[in-house]
Amino acid sequence: MVARKKSTYTSLLLLATLLLMSIVMALGIGAVTIPVVETVHILAQGIPGGSVLPFSSAVNIVPSHRDIIIKLRLPRVLLAVLVGSSLSVAGATFQGLFKNPMADPHIIGVSAGAALGGATALSLGMRFRYFGFSAVPLFAFMGALLTVVLVYNLARVGERVPIMSLLLAGIAVSSILQALISLVTYFSDGELQKIVFWMMGSLSGRGWDYLILALPYCLISMAVIWIFARDLNAFLLGEEPALHLGIEVEKVKAYLLWAASMLTAAAVATSGLIGFVGLIIPHMVRLLLGPDHRILVPASALTGGIFLLWVDILARTALPPLELPLGLLTSLVGGPFFIYLLRKRKDALY
Amino acid sequence: MAQVHLQIQGISCSYGAEPILNDLQFSVQKGELLGIIGPNGSGKTTLLKAMGRTLKPHLGRVFLADQDIYRLKAPEVARQMAVVPQENHFDFPFTVGEIVMMGRTPHLGRFQRESQYDRRVVEEALTVTNSFHLVNRRITELSGGEKQRIAIARALAQEPDVILLDEPTAFLDINHQTEILDIIRRLNSDCGLTVIMVLHDLNLASEYCDKLILLNKGRIYALGSPTEIITSENIKTVYGSRVLIRPHPIHGRPQVTLLSRANLPANTVAGPRIHVVGGGGMAASLLWELAQANYQVTAGVLNIGDSDWEEAKILGIDTVEAAPFSPVTAKNCRSNLDYIKKAQWVILAPIPFGEGNMYNLTALQTAARRGQRVIVIERIPIQERDYTDGKGLLEYKRLLDLGVIRVADEEEALKLLAKEGQSP
Repeated sequence: MVARKKSTYTSLLLLATLLLMSIVMALGIGAVTIPVVETVHILAQGIPGGSVLPFSSAVNIVPSHRDIIIKLRLPRVLLAVLVGSSLSVAGATFQGLFKNPMADPHIIGVSAGAALGGATALSLGMRFRYFGFSAVPLFAFMGALLTVVLVYNLARVGERVPIMSLLLAGIAVSSILQALISLVTYFSDGELQKIVFWMMGSLSGRGWDYLILALPYCLISMAVIWIFARDLNAFLLGEEPALHLGIEVEKVKAYLLWAASMLTAAAVATSGLIGFVGLIIPHMVRLLLGPDHRILVPASALTGGIFLLWVDILARTALPPLELPLGLLTSLVGGPFFIYLLRKRKDALY
Repeated sequence: MAQVHLQIQGISCSYGAEPILNDLQFSVQKGELLGIIGPNGSGKTTLLKAMGRTLKPHLGRVFLADQDIYRLKAPEVARQMAVVPQENHFDFPFTVGEIVMMGRTPHLGRFQRESQYDRRVVEEALTVTNSFHLVNRRITELSGGEKQRIAIARALAQEPDVILLDEPTAFLDINHQTEILDIIRRLNSDCGLTVIMVLHDLNLASEYCDKLILLNKGRIYALGSPTEIITSENIKTVYGSRVLIRPHPIHGRPQVTLLSRANLPANTVAGPRIHVVGGGGMAASLLWELAQANYQVTAGVLNIGDSDWEEAKILGIDTVEAAPFSPVTAKNCRSNLDYIKKAQWVILAPIPFGEGNMYNLTALQTAARRGQRVIVIERIPIQERDYTDGKGLLEYKRLLDLGVIRVADEEEALKLLAKEGQSP
């Protein structure tokens, strides 16, 4: 009776399968269409022991197709999944921490910090590479981390970091950063279009280097958040009740805050500002599967990944050879679906 | 042998520079049901927070079963002590079962799944709080009383030895107040749970708690049984309000009746002096009206405990009192006559007559013969309130024959007084 419903586990399994299928299908879509069977075999060859697939000799693999998939599409598809997952999990975490369904990954200014870093690198026309990483994501990542340090310390009162002062410090720092972004943009007429386009969010031309930059931060952060999912549930009751349930509130809050900020920083650094995903995906999942973070966090990760993957496909195939800004499409595609969900479930808005 | 469960040793708390608690010292025995009362801002909630490991006192220590609570880790405390906050924020649509299962958090390792035992504890906590039927409902859909029961169930799922509650009946209607407190009392008496709760309602605190702490300006003003603590002197000093303390008709614990300022006559009474002969509650409303109109009112002879006597006490009316259920003494009669003599008007309320109060009629006859103005209120026919086999009727008729003023009811008497009363 009090046991958790089996259907939630089934849902996770279903989402994971859906994600895998989406990845395989997405790899075949683009200017050159590659059949699914061929995609599977190209992927299998990359995995040790993968060549024992049935009929492998029967499948004719075009060498250029392998390059398209491994060098171009795979990193981009995986990055789309990673960014979508990261933003969704960060959103779910912030919503839980702030007990506020309106919270999103951009709420405490992390994204603005990243955007400022990225815009600065672009406007200065930096082209250097550091350990194989280009300047823009590095600057963006540094900007994001500096912002978290700043906001966290501004919000600190003695040993505590009250949620309300965190929110206020985040909003204040955000607006300062927004002004600085505008300033940087204003004085960089040569790179203006690049900056604007970058800030609209895009995965265009992102290779393995971006994925490698973001992956460790994202995986560690998501793991931390999932480990503290039960604590996050208790946070929804309020900080004091959480303390009374034996949770070291300030410590856990710091872990969660850093993990969620790291996810946001990695996402923004690699793909620019992508709105909507972090706010709406956790909502959507909560509507369908309930507010338990032990389910909500992994389910948001999977759903966010699937969502951004398909939106990115749309971005690069809707008007070829033009690439649409990802940040615009997420709202354009996701918004109506979310409204449909809300209308269907009028009883619970979040 | 009673065992000390919680010991508070000289704690002082402050928010910034503002001192809230000042050197508090007391201990709570195992299985005790302790209430913390006191006016707003006296430090009740702060004390509960200090005991609940939320607000560390800057001086002094709190011991939970011999261990300094601020040196224990949060889960260690949570396995022994549960706290039910005043307000519960259930903003996210968890099911009741999920919310109560959160109470198992301190018992579960980080990667441990809930066991059959955990589920049984949750089911039991729901059963004890009469909430088992709500298990699959969403917490956001429940009423205030139901939410409060779930908050208590969640606390019980922690399997604590001691539970702290901050005004568990705030925001609830009277029916749900007693429901919640009955549950708490049952947990205390049947399960031996030590209970410490802040209560705002003095009557509920008196009725439900074994022991009370009365806080005043961050200090313990008094500590003891409800009978020792709920006294009109204590309430007057700490709350600054005038109250009437009476034993509850059923359980005998002291009950508080608030005497609001608006109901009390002004201290300077200027009007003519009026003596009211009452009893059996027949004069209560008249006494109130007269006191409101600033007449100088006296009353007699009233038996202690009679509702007219209570009303007179509340209004601060000078009264000739007789012992409860006792015949009037000669001394009573003399002082009654004395009061009558001093009055400009004497009013006879439509009281029933028995062997015990026939002297009232004789006294009034004396007054009438002396030419004093006597008003007789005839709202109820004398035949219906004579319990003396006609003797009362006879004396009553005799009184009427002496030229008293007969009025139909209290209103007419008051009108008459208003018209003529000003001229002595």
